Amino acid sequence: MSNYLLDVQGLETTFKTPDGVLHAVNGVSFGLKEGETLGVVGESGCGKSVTMLSVLGLIPSPPGEIKAGKAMFFGHDLVKMTNAEIRQVRGAQIGMVFQDPMTSLNPVLTIGRQLEEPLMLHVGMNKKQASERAAELLEMVGIPNAKDRLSDYPHQFSGGMRQRVMIAMALSCSPQLLIADEPTTALDVTIQAQIMDLVKRLRNELGMAIIWISHDLGVVAGLAQRVIVMYGGLIIEEASVNDLYANPTHPYTIGLLGSLPRVDAKERTKLYSIEGSPPVLYNKPTACPFAPRCKWAMERCWKENPALETVSPEHRVACWVDTKTGRAR
Amino acid sequence: MTTYIIRRLLLVPVILFGVTILIFGMLQFLDPVERVSMYIRDTPKSDAQIEALITKYGLDKPIYVQYWKWLVGDVDPITNVRSGGILFGDFGYSRTNSQPVADLIKNRFPNTLDLTLWAIGPVIFVGIWLGIQAAVRHNKPFDQMARIFSIIGTSLPTFVFGLLVLMLFYANLGWFPPGRVSDEFSKIISSAEFTNYTKLLSIDSLLNGRFDIFLDVMKHMVLPILTLSYISWATFLRVTRSSMLETLRMEYVTTARAKGLSERDVIHKHARPNAMLPVTTLAGFSIVGLLGGVVITETVFNYPGIGATAARSAAQLDVITVLGFTLFTGLILVVSNVIVDVLYAFIDPRVRLS
Ligand SMILES: Nc1ncnc2c1ncn2[C@@H]1O[C@H](COP(=O)(O)OP(=O)(O)OP(=O)(O)O)[C@@H](O)[C@H]1O
Ligand SMILES: [Mg+2]
Repeated sequence: MSNYLLDVQGLETTFKTPDGVLHAVNGVSFGLKEGETLGVVGESGCGKSVTMLSVLGLIPSPPGEIKAGKAMFFGHDLVKMTNAEIRQVRGAQIGMVFQDPMTSLNPVLTIGRQLEEPLMLHVGMNKKQASERAAELLEMVGIPNAKDRLSDYPHQFSGGMRQRVMIAMALSCSPQLLIADEPTTALDVTIQAQIMDLVKRLRNELGMAIIWISHDLGVVAGLAQRVIVMYGGLIIEEASVNDLYANPTHPYTIGLLGSLPRVDAKERTKLYSIEGSPPVLYNKPTACPFAPRCKWAMERCWKENPALETVSPEHRVACWVDTKTGRAR
Repeated sequence: MTTYIIRRLLLVPVILFGVTILIFGMLQFLDPVERVSMYIRDTPKSDAQIEALITKYGLDKPIYVQYWKWLVGDVDPITNVRSGGILFGDFGYSRTNSQPVADLIKNRFPNTLDLTLWAIGPVIFVGIWLGIQAAVRHNKPFDQMARIFSIIGTSLPTFVFGLLVLMLFYANLGWFPPGRVSDEFSKIISSAEFTNYTKLLSIDSLLNGRFDIFLDVMKHMVLPILTLSYISWATFLRVTRSSMLETLRMEYVTTARAKGLSERDVIHKHARPNAMLPVTTLAGFSIVGLLGGVVITETVFNYPGIGATAARSAAQLDVITVLGFTLFTGLILVVSNVIVDVLYAFIDPRVRLS
């Protein structure tokens, strides 16, 4: 038995598209302890969202299909659960917040109604109790005049406030895990900071574990204890936040960190960016998917796909090259 | 919400004003001699008589004077009796039907209303229901069938479909009769023992407790209802389906699923209300289509409603009757579009609260 709250093993998800079968997630494994915050980073299209949606059984099928893997949560495999079973988990034990607060709330239903729904469904409250609790939840996420605003519609809220509502909704049934899929990407910087502060505060108060997806390493650094870096539907590096920032080991991570603007930069260094774009995979990768963009790439990188190897305690990397020496590992 | 409705209602007279200008403009294509026939029943004996009538009704006056007169008619200074004036319901005299146009509408419109109300039911409920079911079963056999059905529906003109139906069920199989009601019942209906509560035969027959008449009336109406509703069914199905498919891809639908709602609730409580917005707009447009369909359907089935009457009058160059019906149809369109607008606001808070 693992001591993980969520233990994902060998997850593979594909989509049937007109151009062929798209391999979005190609064998992802990670674990998350109770109360821990895990950051997930990677460029657009590397499979972050699909991984999390697969865990919650929210992949549209067809065209999507989970080909392999399991996701153990409290001793049950989420991947094998029936629809009825996984619905008991969604919203109740795992809450989810999405990227764009402008589109993730239903425009024709009141905020109150949308907040009450999970409470009535999972907690068994009646309409009146749920409505009182909904007001408390809004207050908890820092929305003034919470009671009066229950009858408002999403378009009467600003983007930041809507994301607060989404967070309140995801946390309404006190889940053990909150999955946040780029919740601040669509917001401007000051609002971003406010939402991060809110999440930190709620984490202290409620103690839930968090999976925080972002393509911004800076955002993740301020929040997570551990980070996984994804590329081509695979995890290519995993480490504690401090370790990752101090000793980035995979060429891709090094590139990502290089493209992060630093406030403490001594001189005006040119912002480094990785050339090329992430692959769209119509076959399960048999070589390292990053090789085409990698300046360390060796012959082996084009032939075999490296597995995650432990390079130091709690730090795992999938790369044939030792980037410190530039030679084979 | 109330201010929104009031604003809409205030627009009604403005639009109607535009409609009257348009129709009056069409009237001006006729020369005064033709226009004089709006006011008279008998053919005048001599040219002098006609001239006198033209002067009497002011058909040689400036246009705005004539327009005003057309709107309100005029009052005989001696008898104090008003004559003419569309605002007072005087649409002129129908030469081909030998009765005032207003009476003609009053007699024929209930028949048309009877038909369209029965047609709207299947259009809205079956069309929308099929559309939602097809979207939910995207690319499954049910969806494929629905698509074929709607392609046939939108590509087959009403008159072709109507004639096919007429040929098959009326001529070949002899299952359903054309017309309004069987002769034996038509006597009862016009007798004193039958009360006309609404003038809609299908409803009145039930209110009179005459289920046999109701069945007979429905037997006469089944084919027209089918024909009239078929095209709109198909259109509603298509629009509902595509709008629902689009809605099901929205992020808030994923949010609803992520909350643990059942697929039923996700579809009917979260997706459907949003998918209905374009369908409501379509409903506004399809009223126009439905009225066009009425003309064809009623003509094909020889059904005594305003559509068939207008078509017959047009064929006999009875301009006054056609204009009267046009004005009346314009009124119906304006009113029904206001209803659709209000309905739209009712389901979309962004419209209602802005
Ligand atoms: N419903 C779908 N149908 C087909 N392909 C899909 C679908 N959803 C995702 N994909 C594909 O799966 C791959 C991974 O997508 P995913 O959304 O997980 O990326 P991401 O890492 O979350 O990127 P982003 O930062 O843009 O959110 C992409 O190539 C994407 O095109
Ligand atoms: Mg994503």
